[in-house]
Amino acid sequence: MSVLRWQDQLPGLNAATILLVGTEDALLQQLADSMLKEDCASNLKVHLAHSLPLPSSVNRPRIDLIVFVVNLHSKYSLQNVEESLHHVDATFFLGKVGFLATGAGRESHCSIHRNTVLKLAQAYRSPLLFCDLEVESFRVTMAQRLVRMLQVCAGHVPGVSALNLLSLMRSSESLFLEDL
Amino acid sequence: MEPPPEEPAAAEPADSGEDPMTLLLRLRAQTQQQLLEYKSLVDANEEKTPEEIIPEKQIETKIEDLENEIEEVKIAFEMKKLALDRMQLSTALRKKLEKSNVQTSELMDNMKHILELNRIIMKSQQESWNLENKLLDVKKKRFELKRASESKFLEIQTEKNKQKDDLDSMENSDKIKTLQQKLQTEIQITTVIQHVFQNLILGSKVNWAEDSALKETVLQLEKNLTMI
Repeated sequence: MSVLRWQDQLPGLNAATILLVGTEDALLQQLADSMLKEDCASNLKVHLAHSLPLPSSVNRPRIDLIVFVVNLHSKYSLQNVEESLHHVDATFFLGKVGFLATGAGRESHCSIHRNTVLKLAQAYRSPLLFCDLEVESFRVTMAQRLVRMLQVCAGHVPGVSALNLLSLMRSSESLFLEDL
Repeated sequence: MEPPPEEPAAAEPADSGEDPMTLLLRLRAQTQQQLLEYKSLVDANEEKTPEEIIPEKQIETKIEDLENEIEEVKIAFEMKKLALDRMQLSTALRKKLEKSNVQTSELMDNMKHILELNRIIMKSQQESWNLENKLLDVKKKRFELKRASESKFLEIQTEKNKQKDDLDSMENSDKIKTLQQKLQTEIQITTVIQHVFQNLILGSKVNWAEDSALKETVLQLEKNLTMI
């Protein structure tokens, strides 16, 4: 299968799976480790991928949340993410996709402008998070946030659905830019 | 494109030794939520999507409209939930009050305090309302006075303008013109007569510098009488 679809598989009991897509393997690995260290009632599974489409040979559980990691220092990661986005089904974008931009701390190394990523997130109407994954404390905080988001997207939090969370996460900044 | 490597970094955290009852309840809540999501997915898929290609702008506006609808429904739901909670709370309170009399002294004190505060609030609101009314009356009177003074000023100005107009018109009237004409002719006649006198005196070869009256007549003629 070349297109990732959310409803292809049934959910596993008490299992939540997140897929991190990005070119920076070391950062992804560190983020995955921080997430797994988090205290969570459901069983977490973190999958890492360089880019989509994923090989169909591997037997994998239902993916609940996809986070595309873009490194603001390299244009290649943005290109990679944009190409991978084509392989994701539209039903995923109802709250089960997020963008994570890293490397915004060192302004001099940034080759991608912040607005580019912002526009990308707005075009796909998904939340955009900023985090410097190299700093330990930020990474831990982001891992906590992602774990919480994952729980909501997997349906483990009663009363809050992924779409609900999406409209809650719509920040005022994106509203201002939409008027322009 | 070569198949990208996939590394499942799956390390499941150890179970925290949960009570099986709570585990079951939690799993039940999870499956209920997931069932709800799938149901909504099925409902959403029943709607037909339009086949024609709509320009992007329209799609965006449609999306925004739908999002606004969602927000409105959410807000309405929250309000209803609040109202329900309030009703439930009030009935529970009432039932508790009906049940026991002695232990509710604190509650009664609180409620009495609330009533007292409400009374004070109402009283001060009434006072402020009265004061505002007085202020409004004073303002009205001031406005009336201002208007009266404005009209008076206007009257004064019109009177002044009328006077000025009368003066101007008087200057331009014909009577004055004829009078001026007559004055001019008289002045010219007088000048001619004075020239005649002068020439007479000079022609008679009299030494006019000795006699003061003759001197005056001759020298007076230098004044140009037409410039009055």
